[in-house]
Amino acid sequence: MRALFRILRLIMASRPGVMLRGALLGVVVLLAGVALLGLSGWFITAAAAAGLVGAGAVFDVFRPAAAVRMLALGRTAARYGERLLTHDATLRALTDLRALLLRHLSQAPHDRLVRLRGALALNRLMADVDALDAIPLRFALPILSALVAHLVSFAALVLLVDLRVAVWVVATYVIAAGAILVWAARTADKPSRRVERARQAFRARLIDLLRARDDLAVYGRLGDQREAVLDADRRRGAERARLDRTERFAGALLAMTGTLVVAGALLLGAWLVRAGVFQAPVAALGVFMALALAESIAPLRRTAAEMGRMSDAARRVEHSLVPDAGPAPGQGQTTPAAGAPAIELERVCFSRGAAGAPVLNGFSLCLMPGQTVALEGPSGRGKSTLLLILAGLLTPQGGTVRVLGHPVDAWSPKALRRHLALLPQRSALMSGSIREALSLACPDLPDSAAWEVLRAVCLEQTLRAKGGLDWRLGEAGAGLSGGEQRRLALARVLLRRPDVLLLDEPTEGLDAETAMRVLAGLRGYLPDAAILIASHNATERAWAGATICVG
Amino acid sequence: MHVADPDQSDGKNAGRMLAAMALPVRRPLQAASALSVFASLLWIAQAAFVAWALSALLAPGGMVEAAIAAGGFALIGLIRAGLGFVAEGISFRAAEKIVVTRRKEIVARESLRRRNGTAGSAAIAALAAEKLDLIEPYLTRYAPARMRVAVVPIVILAIAFALSWAVGLVLLVSGPLIPVFMALVGMAAKEASERQMQKIGSLNDLLSERLSALVDIRLLDAGDAVVAGFRHEADSLRQRTMEVLRIAFLSSTVLELFSAIGVAMVAVYVGFSLLGQLGFGAYATPLTAAEGIFLLLLAPDYFQPMRDLSAAWHDKASAEAVAGELAGWHEAGAGQILGTGDPQPALTGPAHIALRGLTLRLPDGRDLRFPDLDIPAGTSIAITGASGAGKTTLLSLLAGLQQPAGGAILVAGRPLTDDTADAWRARLGWVPQAPRFLNASLRRNVTLGALYDPARLSGALATAAVGDVVAAAPRGLQTRLGEAGGGLSGGEGRRLTVARAAYAGADVLLADEPTADLDAETARAVADGLMALSRAGATLIVATHDAALAARMDRQVSLEAG
Repeated sequence: MRALFRILRLIMASRPGVMLRGALLGVVVLLAGVALLGLSGWFITAAAAAGLVGAGAVFDVFRPAAAVRMLALGRTAARYGERLLTHDATLRALTDLRALLLRHLSQAPHDRLVRLRGALALNRLMADVDALDAIPLRFALPILSALVAHLVSFAALVLLVDLRVAVWVVATYVIAAGAILVWAARTADKPSRRVERARQAFRARLIDLLRARDDLAVYGRLGDQREAVLDADRRRGAERARLDRTERFAGALLAMTGTLVVAGALLLGAWLVRAGVFQAPVAALGVFMALALAESIAPLRRTAAEMGRMSDAARRVEHSLVPDAGPAPGQGQTTPAAGAPAIELERVCFSRGAAGAPVLNGFSLCLMPGQTVALEGPSGRGKSTLLLILAGLLTPQGGTVRVLGHPVDAWSPKALRRHLALLPQRSALMSGSIREALSLACPDLPDSAAWEVLRAVCLEQTLRAKGGLDWRLGEAGAGLSGGEQRRLALARVLLRRPDVLLLDEPTEGLDAETAMRVLAGLRGYLPDAAILIASHNATERAWAGATICVG
Repeated sequence: MHVADPDQSDGKNAGRMLAAMALPVRRPLQAASALSVFASLLWIAQAAFVAWALSALLAPGGMVEAAIAAGGFALIGLIRAGLGFVAEGISFRAAEKIVVTRRKEIVARESLRRRNGTAGSAAIAALAAEKLDLIEPYLTRYAPARMRVAVVPIVILAIAFALSWAVGLVLLVSGPLIPVFMALVGMAAKEASERQMQKIGSLNDLLSERLSALVDIRLLDAGDAVVAGFRHEADSLRQRTMEVLRIAFLSSTVLELFSAIGVAMVAVYVGFSLLGQLGFGAYATPLTAAEGIFLLLLAPDYFQPMRDLSAAWHDKASAEAVAGELAGWHEAGAGQILGTGDPQPALTGPAHIALRGLTLRLPDGRDLRFPDLDIPAGTSIAITGASGAGKTTLLSLLAGLQQPAGGAILVAGRPLTDDTADAWRARLGWVPQAPRFLNASLRRNVTLGALYDPARLSGALATAAVGDVVAAAPRGLQTRLGEAGGGLSGGEGRRLTVARAAYAGADVLLADEPTADLDAETARAVADGLMALSRAGATLIVATHDAALAARMDRQVSLEAG
């Protein structure tokens, strides 16, 4: 629950004005409805009373009639405005929330980022973010609007009808609706979390079933896995049924509350008329206002049903929002030490997880500016790990790692990225133009510089044929072949003009001749950089000259 | 977020599909709709009680009437709430049944469907896990609302005409005009709302694309630029969406406007006529106070079903989109594997394999012919040939994972068919080129849910020589693989599948390019694992174009392309 409120504060804080205006119009809509029905009821009853005593001629009919028409039109207009404003505010809030998440996650530890590349983890996170959208829309705004509408109605009832009627109507509504909301939210809490968990389990197991179908079939496990998939769905179904029962019951209770409040207002009104406190039309006003106020509590049934899911999602997303400890911006080294080696590794040790055997065991290496060295060794023996350690994405358990004269963790993050660049084994391209893809590495990139780097990675002709820098890539780089995507990612890294360039299998997927031309091109582009390549292909090793074995 | 793509739905097809889906639960759905209509009509009685009590208060006395009316109003209100509870329950269960049935159908068919690679598994998972749920609101909200629209306004209209032709006329004119205006605005709104739904979906696309590129973004120090770019794109998306919504909301505003004006006109007419200032509209006797209040209370409920229906419009649109996608999924035909993939007692006899006139239909319609071949039990054979010659396909045919177009495969002296495939596979080991691991522990990925036997497991791990793979994994045998864990290199993965075959006690091993893309040392480790099983007496069939590996086999057979 606390996480829910903290996320709500974040959302509200980003656009307080817009959100409040939406809430305000929501209140106007509710109140216009209450006023319209109340006034009409009073008007008709008063007219009947006047007609009965033959006072029809002196009864002021025009002002109430005009007010009824005005309220009808005003309510419609307010409803239109409210829907537009709240949707606009919601879309803004959704954007803010997602931008916030993006900013925080871009600082997250490397292994978390790697996990996020998987479809399942990503799907789970997106489902959570979607659930958060309901916090302002179905939690904060309806409750806030209803409360304000009830407060104003209370004042109106005291002024126009009677304190006793006002207390009965408003207090009963607020207390009963509050109690129903709390009860239903508590009852629905577990099922609504479990529904989501079961849905994710269903999805994960189904994807396992589809992707490992051949293996499961060969080992006679297809039926088991199918059963496991359906089992998750049965669990979802059972929890969904519980959730639905609670929601329906809350709905029925809210409807009954409305009924009882109106019946009570009728009885109380009749008694007060007979006691001579007010006349029949005033009693009608109270009854009709009580009737209209029921509209304000109806949406709460969904609020209650979704609260568990919302706070669950809020907790998980908030977890993602906790910023990573590290040097604060503006702190740390910003310039290379003069004359220092580009890379110095001394007795570096690293193992995956606490129990895992060491991947790197006392590895040492020194690389001067302008040198090129290839790392070779069997897969899974730490070549990529070494590059990630040098880039400051993984922290070794022992040894020292220096880049351009300073320990890698002593650099300010921004300065480290300016002087050191890494082409990871798997790099992601996003949809957008070639220009946008390159601008990621170098904002305000002039066309000539873009073509220069594309020439260096042998992509110039390919892209000129496709339509130049404004040609658009599809999702995840669709439209280019695997080798072309690799070279575009390489071009992006080269644009940083780093002093230390780390490449993880840069020519994977290229034929030997193209690979050779790309390697020559990149050295021509960065004549003075220290280049370290993790490689298991002969072309790259031959080009590097010096080879060091890892593992 | 999960909005089916309306482009994939052909309107009529989707409608038919929806109707067909609802057919098995037609009766409960009708019952639920009827109950909801009845509950709506009960309001008429409640309104009568209120009108009667208020008018009684105009004269002396009236306390008894008020007490009776309050009691009656409350009682009927409670019944109404109860009816709503029951009706919603019936339609929920019916809708849930439909969705679960479809989900089972997808799981059952997809698990046996022959598919190349992993393309489409995410789309199938999204359809089964999320999109199917979008059908429920259509059945639980839209369908009952449609029945209420057909009944409730007509009943109220009849009552209005019975009491006052003027009130009836007001309702008659403002009611049917609504569909006319809504149709005008609605045509734009329907298209707009569909487009808008896609837009909301694409906000998530924008985000998820960036999230999956975060490693690169961080390495390029482009975090701020990417966040700014996301904001910019999301902002323009919002502006376009709002343009559309301005029109879309007009449709429901027209409805609101007419209902508000209708209620106001009824109120004003009734008021004037009760004052005696209007002499027309009623029949022989003038309108009484009770009748006036009664009509006023009924007027909003005349419009309510139409408002409900319009609120449920989205439900129909998204249900139709899902139904359209489902229809498309139904039509997409694909081959099936042989057998059911369930455990069976292993086929007995020596594992002799024979190919006789085997052919396979290619996607372009040509037939691929395989040479006749005999592979005696316990021997090893390399299947070589250029890419596209059908090496991988032959392995999946031998495992019964694909159906041949003609000819036969004889295994242990029996033809490989639906009846024998599962029993034959009980003897097989499978070493695919790109292994897929389940989202489970490393141990479970080796045992694959078969009975866990520690001694047998360590034996299998020793045979496949994967001790170092297990040791390097962060949590040893408990390390989670699959997407959540990841972290296995291609070579490590393939070696684990050899261990899997050893654990299953396979005596026929099918390995697809076991050494491709591996450095020499890792390639040797994988090959050694395979040879160890071969030495232990297993038949080894390896599809490869690695000459060194092929040379270690007893025999080589080359497939010719085309």
